[in-house]
Amino acid sequence: MIRHDFFDRHSRLDSWIHRLNAGWKLSIALAIVLATVLMPGRFALCFVGIATLLVVVAVASKIPAGFLVKRLLLLEPLVLGVAVLALLQPNGGCVFLVIVTKSTLCLLTMVLLSNTTPFSELLGVLQRVRFPAMLITTLALMYRYLFVLVDEAGRMQRARASRTFTKRRFAVWKSLGTVIGQLFVRSTERAERIYAAMCSRGWK
Amino acid sequence: MSTAIEVRDLCYRYPDGKEALRGINFTVATGECIGLIGPNGAGKSTILLHLNGILPEQPTRTPAVFICGQPVTEQNLPAIRRDVGLLFQDADDQLFCPTVMEDVAFGPRQFDGVGAPVDGRVNAALQQVGLIGFEKRSPYHLSVGEKRRVCLAGILACAPRMLVLDEPTSGLDPRGKAELKTLLQKLPATKIIATHDLELVVELCPRALLVDHGEIIADAATLELLNDEALMLAHGLERPHILRHRHPH
Repeated sequence: MIRHDFFDRHSRLDSWIHRLNAGWKLSIALAIVLATVLMPGRFALCFVGIATLLVVVAVASKIPAGFLVKRLLLLEPLVLGVAVLALLQPNGGCVFLVIVTKSTLCLLTMVLLSNTTPFSELLGVLQRVRFPAMLITTLALMYRYLFVLVDEAGRMQRARASRTFTKRRFAVWKSLGTVIGQLFVRSTERAERIYAAMCSRGWK
Repeated sequence: MSTAIEVRDLCYRYPDGKEALRGINFTVATGECIGLIGPNGAGKSTILLHLNGILPEQPTRTPAVFICGQPVTEQNLPAIRRDVGLLFQDADDQLFCPTVMEDVAFGPRQFDGVGAPVDGRVNAALQQVGLIGFEKRSPYHLSVGEKRRVCLAGILACAPRMLVLDEPTSGLDPRGKAELKTLLQKLPATKIIATHDLELVVELCPRALLVDHGEIIADAATLELLNDEALMLAHGLERPHILRHRHPH
């Protein structure tokens, strides 16, 4: 089960990195990601430099190393899925290495950003730089309700499991399908209720 | 005493064709606190949603609800929604912001503009519900009772003249219920409380409306209504324990 603080579990720790202004952190993180992505693969030393910087930030922010490694391992399969395709071209080994390095550095940057800055503060920065309001509202609602939805799915799955007496794969898939369908209906209904609650407090 | 809420011949049909309300009539005087009781599916929540214009989805030409004499129409909606604070049954539907502070500030910001100074009102509302220090917390991490109180703070921050509460004590433990009851007793606004918690009705509401099948079955003094055992049983309710065991000690 995903915990509700999945994205920013360590964002409320106390370190000088956590105390930095959220706007600065977001800008620096975006700059690092941009530099990493645009840097030609042959500048290996630059990658080492960025990696060192990230490690220093990770240590200074007091986020447990085990957590960072686990989070990277969780995200890495997505990167590998794309990188493996590079192996099929001539000189593929090098391209593969560059893709994996760049992606890992970008992922680590974002994991560090989201675990040193509470999500609400990041939204606040976006609001200040006049990011479209509708997009910010959508992000805020997603962050707020994703875990309500995950919890609901978990409860439905448990309730179903407690009344399922077969291990046949087809039956399990069928019940999973029903849970997903039910979840969709419940989410739609909840969305309507949330909208009504927003309207009743003056949302236009 | 002036009339705060007037409902005249209110009818409503759900989009699927099911008739939910059939000719509801009642008035609530300013400062009054009334209980709305009835079995599940009687239409209590549907009535409440009409009181600040969430229902009907398409405004009708002949409004059936009047708030302080003003009909609930498209033009009057902003003023009416400021006057009538609605507490929803499921706190998770109402608390959608990432932090308690932002959620409580949501209403005032909608009514007064995004840049309006709201900190004072937010703090006052949080103080009223006893949640000072919760500003930075995420609503998701709170207990059911705390969530309910944040919802109430979000409404109080808009300074409404009327409070419309849908099942305010559902899911609360006895302590949570007692705290909420004390809190509601202190609020001077006109209140309509839809609930199955008949003890709450006995303690807070001098008058009660019994609703069933989308109709008002009875509109009477709470004690008189709740002591009518035959009527209560006929509509899926029962005489609350607090009345059965009232002995002269």
